[in-house]
Formats: sequence, C-alpha cells, structure tokens
Amino acid sequence: MNAQETESVEAFRARAARWIERDLPRWNDEHVETRDLQRLLFDHGFAGIAFPRAYGGAGLTLDHQKAFYDEATAQDRQVPTGNRVSIGMLGPTILDHGSEDAQLRFLPPLLRGDTLWVQLLSEPQGGSDMAGATTRLTRDGDTYVLHGSKMWSSGAHEADFGLCLCRSDWDAPKHRGLSMIAVPLKGVPGITIQQTRSASGLTSDFSEEFFDNVVLPIEYLIGEENDGWAVAQTLLLHERNTVGNIGYGYLGRRDRGPKRMFGGEPAMRSLAAARRRSALDSVGEAIVETYIESVVAPLTSTRVMAGLRVGTHSGRWGSLTKLQSTVAAQASVRTALAAWGADGVIWDGEEVQYDNVGTTWLESRGGTISGGTNEMQRNIISERLLGLPRESAPDRDVPFSEVLRNARRV
Amino acid sequence: MQVELSEAQELFRSSSRRFLEAEAPLTVVRELYDSREGFDRAWWRRAAELGWTSVLVPDRLGGGTLSGRPVADAVIVAEEMGRLVAPGPFLPVNVVAATLAAEGSDEQQSSVLPGLISGELVATWALCEPHGRWDVDAVRTTATASGGDIVVEGAKAYVEALGAAEQVLVSARSAAGLTQVLVPLDAPGVHATLGRSLDATRRFGSVRFEGVRLPRSAVVGNVGEAADRIAQQLRLALALQCAELVGVADRTLEFTIEYGLERLAFGRPIMSFQALKHRIADMTVHLEGSKAVTDALADAIDGDAADVERFSSVTKAYVGTHALDTVDDCVQITGGMGVTWEHDIHLYNRRAVVDRAIFGTPEEHKHHLLSLLSTSEETA
Ligand SMILES: Cc1cc2nc3c(=O)[nH]c(=O)nc-3n(C[C@H](O)[C@H](O)[C@H](O)COP(=O)(O)OP(=O)(O)OC[C@H]3O[C@@H](n4cnc5c(N)ncnc54)[C@H](O)[C@@H]3O)c2cc1C
Repeated sequence: MNAQETESVEAFRARAARWIERDLPRWNDEHVETRDLQRLLFDHGFAGIAFPRAYGGAGLTLDHQKAFYDEATAQDRQVPTGNRVSIGMLGPTILDHGSEDAQLRFLPPLLRGDTLWVQLLSEPQGGSDMAGATTRLTRDGDTYVLHGSKMWSSGAHEADFGLCLCRSDWDAPKHRGLSMIAVPLKGVPGITIQQTRSASGLTSDFSEEFFDNVVLPIEYLIGEENDGWAVAQTLLLHERNTVGNIGYGYLGRRDRGPKRMFGGEPAMRSLAAARRRSALDSVGEAIVETYIESVVAPLTSTRVMAGLRVGTHSGRWGSLTKLQSTVAAQASVRTALAAWGADGVIWDGEEVQYDNVGTTWLESRGGTISGGTNEMQRNIISERLLGLPRESAPDRDVPFSEVLRNARRV
Repeated sequence: MQVELSEAQELFRSSSRRFLEAEAPLTVVRELYDSREGFDRAWWRRAAELGWTSVLVPDRLGGGTLSGRPVADAVIVAEEMGRLVAPGPFLPVNVVAATLAAEGSDEQQSSVLPGLISGELVATWALCEPHGRWDVDAVRTTATASGGDIVVEGAKAYVEALGAAEQVLVSARSAAGLTQVLVPLDAPGVHATLGRSLDATRRFGSVRFEGVRLPRSAVVGNVGEAADRIAQQLRLALALQCAELVGVADRTLEFTIEYGLERLAFGRPIMSFQALKHRIADMTVHLEGSKAVTDALADAIDGDAADVERFSSVTKAYVGTHALDTVDDCVQITGGMGVTWEHDIHLYNRRAVVDRAIFGTPEEHKHHLLSLLSTSEETA
C-alpha cells in the first residue's frame, strides 16, 4: 500500500471522532437495528474498515478499526451488535479463503448490512470434534447437493446465509475430507430451521437446521473442495478473536442497560450495594475478585492485540483471551447469586420472570461452551500454544468411514 | 443417606422412590412448571399416606418414626425428592408439623396437625423478611399481646407454598422475646402476594400482616420463649434442604456420567478424557463429603448434640456450595445440550440454585461460622 494514500491512524481517529459525535446515536437514544446501523457505517466509509475497498471496505488496517471502535466506546455511542458473527468472523474468513468471485459476491452486501451470516459447524452428534462432521456434500454435475443437519447455530432463524462445514470425501482421514460452503437460508427448498428452547425457558437464539438434498451453486464453495478444515480453522480463530475482542473481532462495546449486568463498573457497584445488606466478607471478596478480573481481562486482550500487530503473538492467543473472559464472566454470575441471595431467584408475582440473576445463571454456561468449549481452549493453549505433548487420538489419519466404526472399541 | 439403613428405613426409601418414579417423573415436573401451585393436592395426600408427613410426629399424635431417629428418617425422603426434583411442600409442612407436635396446644394438635399428617391441610413457615436473612436477630415482625388477643404486624418474604397453604407459622417478636403464631391465611389483615421462583415447581410468596388480631390460642408455645424452637426449625430445614441437594447432585452426576459414556468426540467417549475424569473425581469427593456431613447433621439434631448449631452451618456451607458447583460443572460437560430446555439438567440447576439461596446462603453460613469460631476462641 502506498504510504501517501494511507491515512494515519491519528488522522483517521480524529475524522472518525467528528463523524461519530455528529451521526452515531448514543446508547441511551432509541435503539437502531443492526442492519440499519451497519448501513449507516457503510454509507460513511466506516464499515469493514480493514477490508479492501474492492469488496466494500475502507481499505485501512486493524489499527484503524480499533481506533474507530475505541472512539465509539469513549463517546458512548451505539455500534451494531447483531452482526458480530458476520463482520468479525465470517467476513474475514471469506476474505482469507474465498475466491475472487465469492468475495465480490458476498462481501459488499455483508458489509453494507444487507446480509446476516451465521456459522453452521456443530452437529447434533458433536460440536467439540468439529472435524467429525457428517453433513454430506456431494458434487452433482454443475451443482452441489447438501444433506444432513446442523445444530446450535446462533442467529440462524433470521440469517440470510450460513457457512457450512460438510463432508465431501468419506474415505479420506477426517480432517482431509471436509469442505466449506455458503448456504442461503431464506426461501430455499429443502431447508427447515427450528429454534431451540433454552434452559431459561425462553426461545433461544440458536436453532437446528435440516438440509434435505439442498441444491447449491458450485461458486458457493469457500476454499478448495476437501480443504474445508483449513477454512474452519480460520473461522475458529476469528471466532475466538471476536469473543476475546481482538483482531477483526474488535468491535466495541457489546450492549447497554440491564443486560450488561455482569461486567463493567456500574454493574459491580450495584452488586456491591446489594451485598451491603448481607455485610458478608466472603461475598465482598468475590465481588472484588470479579471486579479485578473485569479490569485484567480487557487489558490482556489489548496486550494480545498489540502482540498480534508486532508479531510476538500468534492468532492462537485468542484461545487464551476467550478462556479468560468467559471464565470471568461465568464466575461473576456466581458472585451475583451470592450477593443477591433469595432476591435473585424468588420474586413476587405469579408470572415467570426472566430479568433476574437466576435466569442469567441458567444461561451463563453459553460462553464457556460455545465457540469451542473451554476444555478445547485449554487443549489448544497447552498443546498448540505451548507445544506440550498431544493427547492420543484414535481417529487421526484413519479413513473417516472407519472412525465411526472404531469409536466404541476405545 | 446413611450407609446403614434399618429394614423399615430401607422400605421407606424404596417405596418413596417408586412412588416418585411412578407419580412424579420429570415429565410431570415439566407439566407442573406452568401450574399455579406447582403440585397436585390429591398427589400430595397420596405422598402423605407413605409417611412423608408423619415421621417427625410422635405415635400418640398420629405420627411415627421408623428408627427412633425422626430426622434421619425424614432426610431419606428429602434426598429422594432431590433425585427427581420432586414437587410438593415437604419441607414447610414437616417443619410446622414438628413444631406443633413439640409445642402446640391440645387444640392445635387436634385441629391442625391431623390435617397436615393426612395431607388435607398445608401449612408453611415464615421467618425471613423482605431482603432480610434467615436469622432470629433479624426478625422485625411483632406479635403483641392485647387483652386476650395477640396482634401480628409486619412482613415476611420467600414463604414456600404460600399459595397452597391454609396456615402460616409466623416467627415474630414480642416485648418478652420471640413468639410464634399460627396464622390462618384467610384472617382479616393478612395480605398475601403470590410469587414464583426459578425452581420449576416450588412456589413462594410474600405476606404482610396489618393488625392481624387473633385469639391468644393462636400462639404456638409460650409468648417470648420461641427463640430455641425457631433455631431448631432452621436446623431441621437445613438438614432437609441439604439432603435434597445431595440427591440433586448425586442424580446429576449419575446421568452426566451416563451421557459422557455414550457421547463421542475425537473417536472416543468424552468420559475417557482425563480433563473430564479428574473433575468427575473431584465431584465425587464432594458428593461423598456432602452425604457424610448431611447425615451427621441429621444425627446431631436427633441426638440433641451440643454443637448442632455449628454443624448446621458447616453443612449448608459445604453442601450448598458443592451441589451447585457439581450441577454447574455437569452443564459444562454436557456441552451445548446442557443449556437447552429439552435436557433435564436445567431442572436440577433450578432446584440447586433456589436451595442455595434460602435458609441462608453458603456465604452467610460461613460468616456465621466465623463468628461462632471467634467467640468460642474468646471464651476458651
Ligand atoms: C450459546 C451457544 C451458541 C452456539 N452457537 C453456535 C453457532 O453459531 N454455530 C455453531 O456451529 N455452533 C454453535 N454452538 C455450538 C458449540 O460450538 C458446541 O456446543 C460446542 O462446540 C460443544 O459441542 P457439543 O455441545 O457437541 O459438546 P461435545 O463436543 O459433545 O462435548 C461435551 C463435553 O466434552 C468435552 N470434550 C470434548 N472433547 C474433549 C477433549 N478432547 N478434551 C477434553 N474435553 C473434551 C467438551 O469440552 C464438553 O465439556 C453454540 C453453542 C452454544 C451453547
């Protein structure tokens, strides 16, 4: 890139700050829908800040992206929150692996806020062992045929596209027979989407999808046929970054109001006040520990982010920040249970209520399970990041069709 | 549950388990989620026939212990209820029945107690006040003698089965000390607000008493002398609650291990991963510890042991912490299924989190222990 053409981060920050002050609504203003807010960013050149211009981006760097979202956070402005999977994870994956044709086809509408994307990775029979996918992709002349089912897909009921990991070669070892393909989710024959009810009793954000011989154009393949594992690895990296708030996933403050109960100083202050009436040392200590974690975790993300920039850290460090931030978040809900006591789980009124600590508790494991469970993150940190010896896996380098047969004999 | 049960106790356990499996399986618990009272009255009468409401009441009043150790008998049922997150006002009815049996007037023993034992009547106990603690020192509700009457004034919260109950045993304060009054919920001046909890079937409520005037005969025991009895009620409630938590943790661990033996990842059952096995081992340590300490609490209550107060706080602090941690870790081991409505583990999580919160959180009991330890140090 030509140095003269690239706006310095500081100049960009100043320009962004002025625009943000003028045009971006505050969190306390009326809520603007994700698609509309993303469109607003796009129209002013602040969507896909680190994506090339040819694909609808601003053609700048991740530091510029960070500067923009830091400004929005500092000025307490709304940023799109309903499309973090699209913008932070799937867009960058398509950027890394998509053909020129796929990038031109999919990225501009994604950055403009016209299309929402979700990941279709986990299946009913397994999520951690993602490479064990059994959804079938078969080449049929000039098309592909998709058959099988996916599960836990966050946001699928309102999404336009999903990126789907499927098995295209059953005789290759499991990591080498996978492909990744874009699947349109609206108005396509053969697709059924069922929303899952969550432990809290609410209809959850995730769904189960059934694909009954769905016909897809060949151009929808992302990456090479049977090279889907590499694409999935990239996707997971961007997912961890988005959860850990680094890289393309550095997308500013997540939420506002009561939903942001656990994390941030206001929430901690209200917890400390709830605790005052019980006057308990152990709860007080837990609150302070939670508070300390809430200070340390973002600092760690910032440090890893800086490390990524200067090259001292690799993308795998996202596992560390994902582990750290989700453990801290779950622990903070546990602290809230202790601080609120009976008031957190019992209420006046005969209707079921969801706006309480207990309900948050029932859902609090979402973070430590989704995006690769924390056990998987610990495996990655110890085996990949630190290079400790790997666990033996009876399914490595064995044709996938045999793996299924052998599993019970372990 | 005790390692050694008598033959009668073993029969009690197996008949209770069979009854719950047949008449309150988890499918029924799920149906009751949307119901008002959270249990079926006819079902409760059948439960009462099994002896669920009578073990804490002596023979001469229509009850009967199986082993001569009434609390040890009662925790058998509580643990079975935990294993199936069963519905029903087992805890409050037994607490009130035990107190009426011990201190009730002839009239209370002949007009209320038989109904509690047969399951026709439901009574509950109100100690804690809004945003307060389960602690006699925190009681502000008053019971004031006025002519031949007693007048109750104040507010109570987190009262289990309030919507189903006909009577509420109110722990209140008089000039002379603590006093308990059995208040009919339809008495003038009683304002009940029904509520819910995170638990699938256990309903609660809060209640205000505005100049509730009752005849002196509504007092249970003597005016001003209820402090010890209230403390005993709290210990009994903690023993029953902790036994239930033991059942919750035990069953959750069982079905999680079963699931993990079937569930495959990386070509092997997930239960074969050491990262999970070690946690299962730790949970097993805590479960065994929880069983031991809960049984010891039941024995300490039955035997009127001197250190029973300290023991009850040790038990809640330990069991309340580890039962919820076990369920929580089992959610993690279950993976995505663990956070769905469809999987039963949330029913166990709901029970554990509500039990943890009432009759004092583990943190409150730790705090209490600390003060007990430091005062015993000073007097030593
Ligand atoms: C809120 C939420 C949102 C989600 N969103 C999406 C989405 O948008 N798209 C998508 O594709 N998926 C999504 N998921 C699915 C998620 O990725 C999976 O649930 C997760 O990967 C775990 O898979 P599983 O549920 O099949 O558990 P399993 O893989 O069956 O794992 C069960 C348990 O075994 C442990 N385990 C497995 N392997 C090992 C090992 N080698 N060592 C140690 N322990 C191990 C796991 O850590 C876990 O505790 C979501 C899940 C949740 C809860």
